[in-house]
Amino acid sequence: MSLFSSLSVSASGMAAQRTRAALLVENIANSETTRTPEGGPYRRKDAVFISTPVGSEFASELDSQMQTGVKVSGISIDQREPEKQYAPGHPDADANGYVNISRVNPAEDMVDLVSANRSYQANVAAMSAVKDMIQRSIDLLK
Amino acid sequence: MDAVSTSLERYMDLVSMRQKLVSSNIANADTPGYKTQDLDFQASFRSMLDGGTPKELAVPNLTTRNDGNNVDLDREARLLAENALRFNVASSLVKSQIQQVKSAIKEEVS
Repeated sequence: MSLFSSLSVSASGMAAQRTRAALLVENIANSETTRTPEGGPYRRKDAVFISTPVGSEFASELDSQMQTGVKVSGISIDQREPEKQYAPGHPDADANGYVNISRVNPAEDMVDLVSANRSYQANVAAMSAVKDMIQRSIDLLK
Repeated sequence: MDAVSTSLERYMDLVSMRQKLVSSNIANADTPGYKTQDLDFQASFRSMLDGGTPKELAVPNLTTRNDGNNVDLDREARLLAENALRFNVASSLVKSQIQQVKSAIKEEVS
C-alpha cells in the first residue's frame, strides 16, 4: 500500500528537521563558548540534507518505484577563523590579551529555527492528510 | 465490481500516488538541489484507464533558489488539501456503490 510509505516520507522529514533544530539550539546555547574539547571557541554547526529512498524492506519487493524521503547526510561545521575580542582578564586570552570568540550569530540561528519549525509543521500536515486518506479507505469496509 | 468502481479505484490509486509525491516534496523542502516532483494528472488518469502507467511531469513556473531547490511550500499545501478532497469524494462514491450492492444482496427496498 503506497499510502503507508508516504507516512515514512513525512516521518523522515520530521526527523531531519528535528536534528536541524537540535543543532540550531546547540549553536544558540554555545554562542558565547570560548573553550571546547576540540580546542578553540565553539564553531557553528548546521545539518546538510540529502534526499534518499524511503520504505520498508518489503516495499522494495512490491513497489518498483521507491519514494524520496530526506535524511541528514552530514553536519557542516563553520570553518571561518574565530573573531577576536580584546579581554585581557579572560582565562582564554592569548599573550596580547585577545580572546577567540565564536562566530555564531544568534539572529541567524533564530531565523533558521523558525524555518525548521515551519518545515516540521508542513510535514505534520502532510502526515495527517495521508492518515485521513488511509482512514477513509478503512471506512470503506464498514 | 463494475466499470465505475474500477475507474474509481484507478482514480484513488492515482490520487494516493500524487499524495506520495507531495509528501516527498514537503519532506525535501530544505534539501539542496532537490527538484519538485509531480505527475500530469489528466494524462495519467486517461492512460491508467487504458491500463497504462502514470506520466511524470516537470513542473513549470517554479522559482529555483540559490541552493538549487525549487519546492514551493504553498503549492504543496494546496495540492495536499486538493488530494485529500479528491480522495474523500472518490471514497464516498465507492462506499455508496458498495452500499448499493449490499442492499441488493439483502433485498432491501430503498
